[in-house]
Amino acid sequence: MEPEEAARLARAAADGDPAAWKALVERFSGLVWSVTRGYRLGSADAADVFQTAWLRLAEHLGRIEHPERIGAWLATTARHEALRIARSTARLVPVDDVTLLAFGQADENSPEQAVLDTEQAVLDTERAAMLWRAFAELSARCQQLLRVLIATPPPNYAEVAAALGMPVGSIGPTRARCLQQLRNVLVRDDVSESASSAHNKEK
Amino acid sequence: MHDDPGETELEEELRRVAARFEPVPPVLLQAALDAYSWRTADAELAELVFDSLVDRDEAALVRGGDDGRMLSFHVGGLSIEVEVSGTGASRRLIGQLVPPQQAVVDIRHGGDVATLETDELGRFSSGTLRAGPVSLRCSTGEEANRRRVVTDWILI
Repeated sequence: MEPEEAARLARAAADGDPAAWKALVERFSGLVWSVTRGYRLGSADAADVFQTAWLRLAEHLGRIEHPERIGAWLATTARHEALRIARSTARLVPVDDVTLLAFGQADENSPEQAVLDTEQAVLDTERAAMLWRAFAELSARCQQLLRVLIATPPPNYAEVAAALGMPVGSIGPTRARCLQQLRNVLVRDDVSESASSAHNKEK
Repeated sequence: MHDDPGETELEEELRRVAARFEPVPPVLLQAALDAYSWRTADAELAELVFDSLVDRDEAALVRGGDDGRMLSFHVGGLSIEVEVSGTGASRRLIGQLVPPQQAVVDIRHGGDVATLETDELGRFSSGTLRAGPVSLRCSTGEEANRRRVVTDWILI
């Protein structure tokens, strides 16, 4: 989404246009979710952080200084709330990942399910599972960075920087290093790979 | 396995995999859509200016202790001071408007609104709330010069 389009949607939503709000949700919910998931919060906490970011945006519409950077605003808000909750001792409750699994079940007729059906056809299930397992082996920092980068739809670098609280300039090099780390895990796990490529494995 | 996929190719593949294994939960998408209906376009927004969770050292200095979480919201000469207590999934709010004044306070929480009245010093206290996002909507003054203020949403 172009910054001008984001700004236009933000203004339209501030003026009471629910379609503009829906477009903002569709554009940025993947980004906000990727931020909350990057903090290893329990599923209830992650859900609360996600929801708080959107509730706060609803009240701030029309008051945001740079509406063209609304994605970065949301990402920053989610990051701050995630950090806040991570510091809250009152929040030390058992992690309930069963709820998360239930969240993940897209209902049959949803657009999400349609996407899944299409993806299922084009994506080798085994490879997908292997990739996701490999992803889970990456360092916490790499998982956090990549999660944001691979949000759907893809965020721009300014949004990624806001989501992670890091300068735009260091995203590229870190991304390259993390993708290499991922590739090393994939190479290690792939029996068909030659022994020589396995030597490149990075710790 | 692909033949040495380029960075972008690997990233795009990962994007599809993430969308499959870790999509935004549909209930949360709906919650984000519903957030719009909580908008109060006719009220002033009192922003969070102090949170002892973040400004802890300062809080300890002021209060000499760190039991309970202290929050302060402010807009145009009005502050709403709130102390959050509770553990696990239950919370309780005790608050006061400063300068002290009588008000009607709506506690917006969990898709619901609980309305209560402050005492003459602007003090109020909630019942038990579940942990989650909360915002206060305060209405002060006489009919003629009614003032409506909402606080930032915060996670308690």
